[in-house]
Amino acid sequence: MALRPKRIIAQTIKELTQLGRDRLTLTLALGLPIVLLLLFGFAVSLKVNQINIAIQDLALTPTSREYIATFERTSKFHIVEQGATVNVPRLLDQGRIAAGLIIPPKFSRDLRRTQRKAQVQLLIDGTDANTANIVRGYASATNTEFVQNRQAAGSTKRETSPVNLQARLWYNPGLKTLQYIGPGALAITVALFPPLLAGLATAREREQSTILQVYASSLTGAEYLLGKAAAFWLVGMAEVLIVHVEAWLFFGIWFVGDPTPMILGSILYIVCGVLWGIFLGSNANTQSAVIQSVSFTAFLLSLQLSGFAYPVSNIPIGIRWISEIIPARHYILLTRDAYVRGVGWISGWSPVLALLVLASFFFFLAWRKLQKMQVET
Amino acid sequence: MTQSLSVKEKTHRLKAAIICIRDLRHQYSKQAQAAVAGINLDIYPGEIFGLIGPDGAGKTTTFQILSGVMPQTSGTVEVMESNPRDMRLQMGYLTQRFSLYLDMSIWENLRYAAGLREVDEADFKTRSNHFLGLLDLARFKDRLAGRLSGGMKQKLALCCTLIHNPRIVLLDEPTTGVDPVSRREFWDILAQLASTEGITTVVATPYLDEAERCSRIALMYEGKIQQCDTPAKVKASLGLQRLEVYLSIDQLDRAEDMLKHNAEVRESVSDVQRFGARLDVLTAKPKQTANDIRRSLEQQQIQVRNIVTDTPTLENTFVARLRELKGESSVGSYPRISRQEKSSGTAIGAQNLNKVFGNFHAVKDINLNIKYGEVFGLLGANGAGKTTTIKMLCGLLPASSGQVMLAGETGQLRSQQVRQKLGYMSQKFTLYDDLTIDQNLEFYCGVYGVPRRYRTAKKKWVLQMSDLVGQGDRLTGNLPGGWKQRVAFGASVMHEPKIVFLDEPTSGVDPLARRQFWRWINQFAREGMAILVTTHYLEEAEQCHRLGFMVAGELVAQGTPQQVKDEQPGQLVEWECDPLQQAANLLKQKLERWRVSIFGSRLHTILDKPVDRQIPQVENWLQADGIRLQSHREIGFSLEDVFISVVEQARQRGLEVPVD
Repeated sequence: MALRPKRIIAQTIKELTQLGRDRLTLTLALGLPIVLLLLFGFAVSLKVNQINIAIQDLALTPTSREYIATFERTSKFHIVEQGATVNVPRLLDQGRIAAGLIIPPKFSRDLRRTQRKAQVQLLIDGTDANTANIVRGYASATNTEFVQNRQAAGSTKRETSPVNLQARLWYNPGLKTLQYIGPGALAITVALFPPLLAGLATAREREQSTILQVYASSLTGAEYLLGKAAAFWLVGMAEVLIVHVEAWLFFGIWFVGDPTPMILGSILYIVCGVLWGIFLGSNANTQSAVIQSVSFTAFLLSLQLSGFAYPVSNIPIGIRWISEIIPARHYILLTRDAYVRGVGWISGWSPVLALLVLASFFFFLAWRKLQKMQVET
Repeated sequence: MTQSLSVKEKTHRLKAAIICIRDLRHQYSKQAQAAVAGINLDIYPGEIFGLIGPDGAGKTTTFQILSGVMPQTSGTVEVMESNPRDMRLQMGYLTQRFSLYLDMSIWENLRYAAGLREVDEADFKTRSNHFLGLLDLARFKDRLAGRLSGGMKQKLALCCTLIHNPRIVLLDEPTTGVDPVSRREFWDILAQLASTEGITTVVATPYLDEAERCSRIALMYEGKIQQCDTPAKVKASLGLQRLEVYLSIDQLDRAEDMLKHNAEVRESVSDVQRFGARLDVLTAKPKQTANDIRRSLEQQQIQVRNIVTDTPTLENTFVARLRELKGESSVGSYPRISRQEKSSGTAIGAQNLNKVFGNFHAVKDINLNIKYGEVFGLLGANGAGKTTTIKMLCGLLPASSGQVMLAGETGQLRSQQVRQKLGYMSQKFTLYDDLTIDQNLEFYCGVYGVPRRYRTAKKKWVLQMSDLVGQGDRLTGNLPGGWKQRVAFGASVMHEPKIVFLDEPTSGVDPLARRQFWRWINQFAREGMAILVTTHYLEEAEQCHRLGFMVAGELVAQGTPQQVKDEQPGQLVEWECDPLQQAANLLKQKLERWRVSIFGSRLHTILDKPVDRQIPQVENWLQADGIRLQSHREIGFSLEDVFISVVEQARQRGLEVPVD
């Protein structure tokens, strides 16, 4: 049967009216993502500004001191101890530092020679792999800075050989964590509420038997589904708008390239969430079942398997396919591109397409469940 | 749509059945017995067709299939000669449980109902104004549905089912939990819709006096239709007369048992039923039986005040038929843990009790003094403040001012000791829908600390009294409404409380089960329990020792049923006339509204004494309007008459029945 827009709109208006009556839920839906984004943003950025480090300087030359000073100058590191007698392994054992830098006695000499590369050793506490990575990244960036300074200043007339350096960072040269975490956090913060609200509204109608009135009218499954989805899609889009404005105001991140893939992606991402919520809601008999299933599938899985917390390539092959059906995994690629890489449609078309496929799939799932519009016996 | 039907088609439809059911069966996957076991039914245009039957007879299932909401297992249903699913737009369905969105206003509910069926803007405007006006809801357009009284909610639900101008409305117990005044209003509207708009109505109701107003009724039992005819013919099919036996109220139960088992009168008595303050005895030989009854009761030192012969009511017929079908159910005795000592003194007391919600004065200066062993009935229209009062009395809601005394305690109403002595059955169902009956009962045993060795006996008793033996593993949520009420009642008295609060315990329960309920209530009271009960079945309230009438938060009358009736001014005159609805509408214009009400198939009018001059005048009015008058007689007030006149008069004084 053809879709009748009037009925869909009637359904949408009704959902929004009910949501409007429930002020607390509405406030939470619009307010919590704001808080969540702040949490994600600040919790991570505070941590990387306070890396405790100890430096054992066995060279004790002006050059080695200059090298140390480079570390002091960045706000990332907090030097706990320095000098020739610092016992790096012990401090690591005690957990007082996240990393220790050892500058060997021949550091300055090697640096001056053209044939030889100067060596420094960095010992990192690898307990927390994520922090360890960040530390390594910062350390190598600081190292680069030192080398560049020396070249620019031309402190010695002779050409200097570089300090041994391997890591290079692209796209985020200043290593601003917010630019790495922020765009991902944008996706996660809006992952919960659209499916949760839609799922609850669907299950509530069953729980309170008001669904019988809908069955008794000639509304079709698709109309019911679209009407409900439209209402919570609007709420979701409001959330998206709010968190993006917030990210700009608080973290100062702004589009670096063509944002249209991301904008299109946002629309589809929320559609996916809402339809998934309705699907879960139409299968659950109680609202509490919806809360559990939505918070697990929509939120926890997005958090864990979307590439937000750690790269998708780190996920074991066996369960990596799960991440493919998590909309956040594709949406994160789009937000990161819009805010960090700025390549636009060159890499944007495939995540957008993936979201479109997922949205159609979820629509099909929910529609198949609702299409009967009859009491199950 | 139907507006474009040609004249030829219209006349055709008048003869043909608008709903046609053939060999309909429905089986739920989780139940052994078929819910609907082969019914055949024809319903004709313009009828008000009543579906009556005990709890669990399959009425709701039938409605769900008729409305196209649920597919049947087998058999055919045709609505206007096609599948009900395709005819959904021609039907309106009022479900048994709340069909409204309580967090939306009256107007928003209506707009949504209209939107679902694509009623265009202009039609919506005219119809919503028309129906809201008709149902007297226009003033409250912006009020949330959740804040309406029970009667108004049902009127709004009716409005929503009418908004798309359906040809058929299906009403599943629309007046359950609705007070007698609002109930009558609701039925006046149904009658009007049937006559002016030609709407066909199919309605289920546990109130048999309402069912008398149907054009035809079908009696359903265990998924089958046992009898289907006009109410008059159904009643006549019994072939019996009814004797109203009046005697002292506290001897009624004893007299009933005696008449049922006494060999001397047994032969001629078909059935004995308690109705309010009297016994209804069904018999084929009224004269002889009356003498027999008088003689054998007097042998037992039971004084008979009066015996009147009349035709049986639909309720008599229904109860008698059900007893035939079911057989007399034996109900075990209540297993006691401790001997109930008779306490004396006040069980429930209240002094100048007040409750104010915001700027709304819900309860005003209530004074009560209920003794142990007493059944006190709190009566009033929906929203009069009964539930609020009960909540304050049992300590669930703090009073704004005034004092409550409960089981000798004044301060700590929620203390462990006091609560152990209380039983409370709230209006909303108090059991957990997602647990089985057994699990629910086990839970309540545990909560109230019933010793383990008594639990089996207690649980068995509840299953017996609620007629659910062997079904303890059914999910509570799947039970028909009336059965849930019975289980909830059992659960609230399992721990042998000394004080019990019952908030509309019999709402939605069928007449046979209701009588059983009251036998238990009376027995508990005799054993020393104090019971405060609210009900919308006023004939039940006749069994209370004392009554209080609440109107708009005030206790306007208090006393024994007899005292309350004696305080009524005027004389009650009962009329038998045809057509009844027309006569009622006419007299409501000629006399004051509160003086006229429909009781089953009769019309009650309260006339000023002496009535000799007024009766001929009423007769003239009726005859001038072409109404056939069969008989009239002067009768005593029933509590329902009192209720209607108290509430209607309060309304007239501008004491608007509050609805917040």
